[in-house]
Amino acid sequence: MNLRIEEIGDVSCVAPVGRLDFDAAPGFQEALERVFSGAGKTPAAVIIDGTGLEYVSSAGLRAFLLAARSAQRAGISFALCALQPAVREVFELSGFSRIIPVHADRASALAQAQQGRA
Amino acid sequence: MDHPSVSPRARTAGSGLTVPLPVRRLTELLRAKTRGFAQLLIESRGPYARAFENLIVALIIFSVASIGVESIPGLPEWAMRTLRVAEIVTVAIFTFEYLLRVVAARNKLGFVFSYQGMVDLLAIAPFYLVGFDARWLRALRLLRLLRVLKLQTHFLETVVEERTRELAEKNAALEKAQAQLKAELEVARSLQLAILPAAFPARSGCEAAARMIPATTMGGDFYDYIELPDGEIGLVIADVSGHGVPAAFFMAVARTNLREQAVHHNDPGECLAQTNDALCAQNPLELFVTVFYCVLDPKSGVLRYANGGHNPPYIRRAAGIVETLRGAGGLVLGAMPGSRYPTHTVQLLAGDRLVLFTDGVTEAFNPAEELYGAQRLADEVHVHGGGTPAALVERICQSVTNFAGTAPQSDDITLTVLTWGAP
Repeated sequence: MNLRIEEIGDVSCVAPVGRLDFDAAPGFQEALERVFSGAGKTPAAVIIDGTGLEYVSSAGLRAFLLAARSAQRAGISFALCALQPAVREVFELSGFSRIIPVHADRASALAQAQQGRA
Repeated sequence: MDHPSVSPRARTAGSGLTVPLPVRRLTELLRAKTRGFAQLLIESRGPYARAFENLIVALIIFSVASIGVESIPGLPEWAMRTLRVAEIVTVAIFTFEYLLRVVAARNKLGFVFSYQGMVDLLAIAPFYLVGFDARWLRALRLLRLLRVLKLQTHFLETVVEERTRELAEKNAALEKAQAQLKAELEVARSLQLAILPAAFPARSGCEAAARMIPATTMGGDFYDYIELPDGEIGLVIADVSGHGVPAAFFMAVARTNLREQAVHHNDPGECLAQTNDALCAQNPLELFVTVFYCVLDPKSGVLRYANGGHNPPYIRRAAGIVETLRGAGGLVLGAMPGSRYPTHTVQLLAGDRLVLFTDGVTEAFNPAEELYGAQRLADEVHVHGGGTPAALVERICQSVTNFAGTAPQSDDITLTVLTWGAP
């Protein structure tokens, strides 16, 4: 799987593309940890844009859980947006959508991130 | 090794050319002796071989140094004489070594034309050639400096030998460790499979079948049947995040905890909440497990269930209609302490089938990277669910395997089918 990382002000948008399965999960997790620690400056918020995320296995869910915990420890707000229907269902079924905020699209996720700081 | 190629020649010599017996005896004796020395000083690689090797290296250094000393003008006659004698002895030993190496080599011609063979020959050849024509003396003497190359081949050989031996030792150790690891994994796998219940508790009117196909040697999925104190039966299907040894350990911990809580907490939601708290308290690897847990009253057919982030099971009604056991669930177990799990109730009717499964079934990929999907599973249950639970389990496993084709199995595949009431 590939990651596109974009900086919008002090918000980092991470867009994973492909399947987040057992093999891809460790790399994804490491990449997120690098985003959290930031190149010099820590982002205020990290948003995962799920437009290109086709599949999330249980190992992939675990990567999200660990990321959410790291973000919480570092005081970074962490949210998901624009999930494909199948992936959204996985987050709802597993109960993860209750502990990680899920937004309909990137704009509302960004608005929420900005509001959180105001 | 040597004899098959030697003896025919000896026979021809004996029959054709009449070589006198004492000469033949002598050559045979010499041959045997040389072979013995070759074995002792070259092939054996034992203490004698090492000592011989050191002697050769020392001689090379000495002889190269003496070439330098020889060129000093006005050297006294006694010194020149000593050096000449030393040169004769050195060449004699080098010649002996060269012969031994030829004898020891499997491919004799190959050795003669090899780099080392040529260098060894060059180290002694000038001495013998000088005897024929003295005018070449000076030039050929300089050729003796090529003995430095001999030094290089010796060290190179030693280093290569040492590295080869080290590598072989390391490889052997690695292979041993790997074999041990594999054997231990096999034991762990059989232990894990032994945890899964062998048979459904005998109850009139109830029948169940189950199957677990791990993706790697150690799976993270499990199912369980629990006999509860008041005659009810607990049914569990669960999927630990990831697979391999960590998932298998967590599975064993989760299963034990759930069994313990099930006996104490009659309410499925409460049972999951207690299990979740227990798992959160002993979860160093931060794994989690999705669990669907239900309690069946075999007398009434009432099924109470709670869902901790698991795929909702199917109920196939006697008429063939497939329903999904929805109803709000809770978070996966082991992720966050204090999570709540609402309990729901459904009435089973005679002949209904309950189909529990993990996402290894619905999320099996085919070579075109398409998902098996919930719809295919529901269709199988709808069309083929009328027979015994074992037949349906077999049918679904077959269908998933056929669908996946050559694509590798990425997740454990686990299925449990239960029928209640007369079919």
